[in-house]
This record gives sequence, structure tokens and C-alpha cells, in this order.
Amino acid sequence: MHPADVMIKVMASQIKDGEVFLHGLASPMPALAMFLAKLTHAPNMVYLAVAEGIDPDPEKFKLYPSSADPRHAAGCIGIGELAEAFDLAAKGKVDGMFLGGAQIDKHANINLTCIGSYDKPKVKLPGGAAAAYLSPIVKKLILWTTNHSKRTFVEKLDFKTGIGYEKGKDKKVVVVSNMAVFEAEESGLRLISVHPGFSIDDVLSEMSFEPIIDGYATTQPPSDEEMKIIQKLDPENVRYLEFKK
Amino acid sequence: MKDKLVDLDAAVDLVGSGDTLTFSGVSMVRKPMAFIAKLIQSGKKDFTIVDREPGMDFDILIAAGCVKCARAAMVGFELFGLAPNVRRAVQEGEIQFIEETCGAVVNGLRAGAMGLPFLPVKGIIGTDLVELHEKLGNWKIINDPFGGGEIVAVKAIVPDVAVIHVQKADRCGNASLEGSRFEDVYKAKAAKKLIITAEEIVPTDYFKENPEKNTIPYCYTTAVVHVPKGAYPTACPNYYPPDYEEVLRYLKMCREGKVKEYIDEFIRRW
Repeated sequence: MHPADVMIKVMASQIKDGEVFLHGLASPMPALAMFLAKLTHAPNMVYLAVAEGIDPDPEKFKLYPSSADPRHAAGCIGIGELAEAFDLAAKGKVDGMFLGGAQIDKHANINLTCIGSYDKPKVKLPGGAAAAYLSPIVKKLILWTTNHSKRTFVEKLDFKTGIGYEKGKDKKVVVVSNMAVFEAEESGLRLISVHPGFSIDDVLSEMSFEPIIDGYATTQPPSDEEMKIIQKLDPENVRYLEFKK
Repeated sequence: MKDKLVDLDAAVDLVGSGDTLTFSGVSMVRKPMAFIAKLIQSGKKDFTIVDREPGMDFDILIAAGCVKCARAAMVGFELFGLAPNVRRAVQEGEIQFIEETCGAVVNGLRAGAMGLPFLPVKGIIGTDLVELHEKLGNWKIINDPFGGGEIVAVKAIVPDVAVIHVQKADRCGNASLEGSRFEDVYKAKAAKKLIITAEEIVPTDYFKENPEKNTIPYCYTTAVVHVPKGAYPTACPNYYPPDYEEVLRYLKMCREGKVKEYIDEFIRRW
């Protein structure tokens, strides 16, 4: 099974029925996860997205390479400006947001800004998008990376674009990589599960810091029924484009 | 209401070298590409460009050497990769790049539209963006005067010119955004001058019969230009989707060092 599909299932399982979730640009897996949740265990979740359609119709949905593609809003119940979704988040009424991370540290803080220094970057990354704004104000932050490696899981970020674990806050931070699932807590990143097809050694040898390990599970992959849903939403496998060949 | 319909060249005349500009849309949707082609052709430069999440509009203007400073929360081609010319220009120190965050840039534009000097914006505190923007004078951490603790004050963004591509407009500058609006209404109202480019010019009666469709009324508008396919190769909802193949062709030519050839072709298209 492709790690994308396992990651989509993990992301979907973070969404509870009735919650309000938002995804931004360059977010094919979060979009599919939100639909998967809505079509299975969370029919009443509120779907907000960068294409600005509120609750688009999954029957009319097909995944395209730009998350803002207007066709992603097909069959929606209304237009919700992203600015309005940000207002809702400021009121504490956006439950969850998905963000990528070019670098992730053990507190699940993220860098999406630059490799090297800000003033003279070795690599200018696309930028944090809503990370700095939303990461401190949502209740669930779901971070993902398709590149589980020492370059991603770093001791020290080159730039702190978004905030992960925050002590004393009602905030859950989950990190979903192409190999494993983690959850941030005060003393670091706790390993929750390892995806089928990967070993604990694969996971640990590709991290620059040690996660907290205290028993872990095998990640639950999508069922045949769930795979059918994912495949129907993304018949051309756009979701795999994010992974290195 | 006056007739404000002009051609693209006359609209470009409203822009001066060194101006701060903002454009409609995000990523590969409703970017005013035809206007940008004519702007590059005009030879004007030293622009500061500001937007939430731009894409090819920023990349090609930077490739053409028209930009001094770019401000955005994210700029790239999503699954197709980094913006090659933005990346190169920033890494080589050719332009200044100011990384924004969505909530701040949106509310900076809203403050501009509201005629306010700043707006308080939640979140952000604790990230490295704060120091950067405090140094530049764009943000300042203040205390909520009503006892809510520290909050970021984001200075109003007032572009010299906003260029907004819409689906329908009349000759007087009433304009209708269909589907996703992004921050375009705020951009339109924040800017000192507003240029509307439109897929279709409709009779003013269209708005009289459907006043709720008038998302940007004429009193904000400086000039209107009729440009069918004016957002191509980005999308215009209800008219055409993004042309992903064309975007990929642009990126391929950039990678092969042929961006100047692409720009020549891009200008000739209009």
C-alpha cells in the first residue's frame, strides 16, 4: 500500500464528527482525509478549504494539482472566504488544521520558511502560509511530511515558522510522516505507531532526535471500502505526486 | 457613473515604477496574467508586490527583473514545486523577500480597506516572523487595552494599485466576483487605484437587476479592461480551469534556462 493512503487514513481518524476542519494550498492528502472522514465516521464535520467552497459535494469531487482549483468547490453549500475561516479560528471555532513541515523539531515546531539563514538562505522554501497565524490558535494541529528523514526531523530548526506543543493549552499536535505517527507532549515527540512495511529501525535511523518510545502500534491502514472512497475521489493518483520518485 | 473602459496599455499607464502592487487570486486561480504581461512589456520596474499566496504572477514578474521587494505568506507551484525565479532571486540576494503569514496579510489588507492604521491579529507570537516584521516596522506586539494580554498589531497595507481579474464588469467599473473571492474585495478597497480586468463586459442593467452580484461597486474603480482569458494559464471560475500543462511548460522552460523566451512569448500572447 502506498504511504499516502495510510497517511490519509491517519489524518481522517483525527477528525471527529461535528468538528470544523480547514486545509490550505498544496494539501491533497488533507483534502482527501477530510472527505474520507465525512463519508465515514464524521458526516457532520464542517469542511473549509482554500478553494473557498463550504462542504463541497464528494460526489462531484475530483482531485487536481492545485488545492485552490475552483472545481474543488463543486456542489458546495456556500462560499466561505479564507479570511472568514481565519476569523472563525480567532474565535476558537476551527477545531483542526493541516500543515506541512520542511523541518520539524521534537516539540513539533515547524520550519517552512528557509534552509540556512533567513537573510541569506541556502534554500528559499515556499513559506509558512497560515502556519504562524493558525498553529497557536487551533485545537488540533496535524502536521505531515512525505520525507521522513534526518533533514526533516531536526534537532534545531533554521527558522520557527509555526508552533507545535504548547504547555497548558487545549491543543493536540499530531505528526504524520510517510513512516510513522507521533504526538507531541511536554518532553518530546511520542511515537504512536509505525506504518505497515516500515520497521522501528527505519523510523529511528532517519531522525536527528530520539522520540519517546513506550510501546507503539502498527498504523491502521485504510480498509478496502476506504480505499475505494479515496480512489474515487482521486482516480488519477494526484495524491502520490508529493512523494519523491 | 462614468465610462472607465480602457485598453490594457492605458491601464498599465496608471502604474508607476516603484509602486506597491497587489493582484487578485491565489496560486493558479484568477491571477491577472494579461495585465502582468503588459506590465513587463512596459519596462516599468522596482515594484513591491504583496499578496497572500501568489504563484506564477510573482514568479514571472521577478524573472523579468521588475521587482525590488516581494511580500507573501507562501509562493510556489504547490505539487509542481518551488517558484524557481523567486527562489533564485531571494537566494542570490537580488530581491528582498518578506515572509508574511496569512492571517496577518489578510488583516493588513482589511485594515487598508477599513481606513484604519492597523488591526490586532491573534496567533503569531512565539514564531520567528515577529522579530523580522518588528524590525521592518510592519508589526508590533502591543497590549490589548482591554486586558486581553499581548497581541500583534499589523500595520495597514495600502497598495498603490490593485489589479483584480473578475468574471463580469460593466463599463463603469461595477464588478462581479463569482465563486471564490479570496481577499480580492479587501485588496480592491485598500488600494489607492483599482484596475479591474474582466472576462466579460456586461450592461449596467446586469447589476441593477442583480445588485447582490456587485461585489466591487464602481466607486472604488479607476479603470476597467475587457480581457477574455485574462487570467490564463491560471483559472477563472465559471470560465476555465487552470491549464496545468501550460504551467508545467513554464516551469520546464525556467529549469532549462529559457525563461526569457517564455516571457517573450507571454508578452506576444497579449
